[in-house]
Amino acid sequence: MLKNVLIVLFIILLVISCKSGGDKSETLEVDESELVEGDLEISKETIDDIIQSVSSPVEMAALVKDLGIKFSNKYLAPTDHVDEISTSFKQALSLGIYGADLGYLNMYNKTASVIEYISAIKTLADEIRVGQFFDFTTLKRLAQNYQNLDSLMYLSLRSFNEMDQYLRDNDRSHLSALIITGVWIEGLYLATQVASDAPHPSLAERIGEQKIILEKLILIIKNFSKDSQFANLLEELNRINALYKDVEITYTPGEPEPKEENGMLIIIQNEESIVKISDEQLNEIIAITKEVRDKLVGA
Amino acid sequence: MKAIIKTISVLLIFISTTVYSQDLTQLVAQCAANAGNVTYLKDFVVKLDAGTLGGAPPTARFAMILSKNAMYRFSICTAPDSEGDAVLQLMDMNRLLGSTFIQATGKEFPYFDFKCQKTGVYHVFISFKEGKAGESVGVLSLVKKF
Repeated sequence: MLKNVLIVLFIILLVISCKSGGDKSETLEVDESELVEGDLEISKETIDDIIQSVSSPVEMAALVKDLGIKFSNKYLAPTDHVDEISTSFKQALSLGIYGADLGYLNMYNKTASVIEYISAIKTLADEIRVGQFFDFTTLKRLAQNYQNLDSLMYLSLRSFNEMDQYLRDNDRSHLSALIITGVWIEGLYLATQVASDAPHPSLAERIGEQKIILEKLILIIKNFSKDSQFANLLEELNRINALYKDVEITYTPGEPEPKEENGMLIIIQNEESIVKISDEQLNEIIAITKEVRDKLVGA
Repeated sequence: MKAIIKTISVLLIFISTTVYSQDLTQLVAQCAANAGNVTYLKDFVVKLDAGTLGGAPPTARFAMILSKNAMYRFSICTAPDSEGDAVLQLMDMNRLLGSTFIQATGKEFPYFDFKCQKTGVYHVFISFKEGKAGESVGVLSLVKKF
């Protein structure tokens, strides 16, 4: 009887090892002693809402590409010092920065560099114990096969989203907050650098709109600012925010208009947001964003 | 003996959870592929219990920031073994902008496109028709800038 039970147990364990297809452990203990969530001033639900709402790493890159701007390596953060990034605070922040760069590379189908950035992301993700979400072997294979570029984009973005969800589900929202801050600052850096090299009204508007996101990011980073590293990051974000003080966003009302085209439903929004940002404000934002981003990349 | 049975039970629950999560991962991939030639941005995995008689249908809510001058596609895919059919609605504050199910006509769409003109926070609500229990996946994709 006991023998049969043991055989059944063995088969079950075998099935688990096959089904799990990786090491997505739900019980990982992480030493994050340098990061303390402490008493939160805003609810966890609100923090999760803000983190979840922040734009995807590819949206800024998509805008840049749609404007016909050529790809340039100079907008990317270097990956050569990734092994020296030693605290979970810096690892999470850098993970976001490289995530945004990966989105930029994917958008331009720069598969050779994609592998380098996936590798950097995997290294950092392993350090903060979320490396299980990045199937490096598959991502690398897709990057080497030019026919699977859509799959590569999908899998890398999905891995990123899964990692973020896992962190939030496991009360590690402080790391998620750092990752999205990294994504955001690198996206803003890309937009501002491109705007500096090739000014375009759409870019200026998109940079101005970042006021909305920055206010929300500051809200969550402030929430963890009892920790000195978060307090320093908050200070840097506030430097940028100060420049946004006089950037105006106004709204013209309008009703959404649904229409059907070839059996497809399209909703046209007639309410509009309008950004007023002067050249002087834009130039200041370009300069300070570069300073802050370079500091964070070199941190 | 009791301990062995307990262990097996726990393992069986773990297996079913793992299989469930794999099924949903496949559903997300399928749903993203069904959205067509677009760029996947986010997904919203939903599992809801049935609502109470006469009460509002249980609903999952997701926040997101959408950007002006972008065309987004909102897709919904109901899991094959789901009891209820999923409906995805896009809201701006309390205003309904779009839905995959038009109550007045009974028409259903696997997805709809949203031409965004206002950068801001929006919410996706996913529920199941008649407040039934169900599992589904919503996918947000980027169609193009305009």
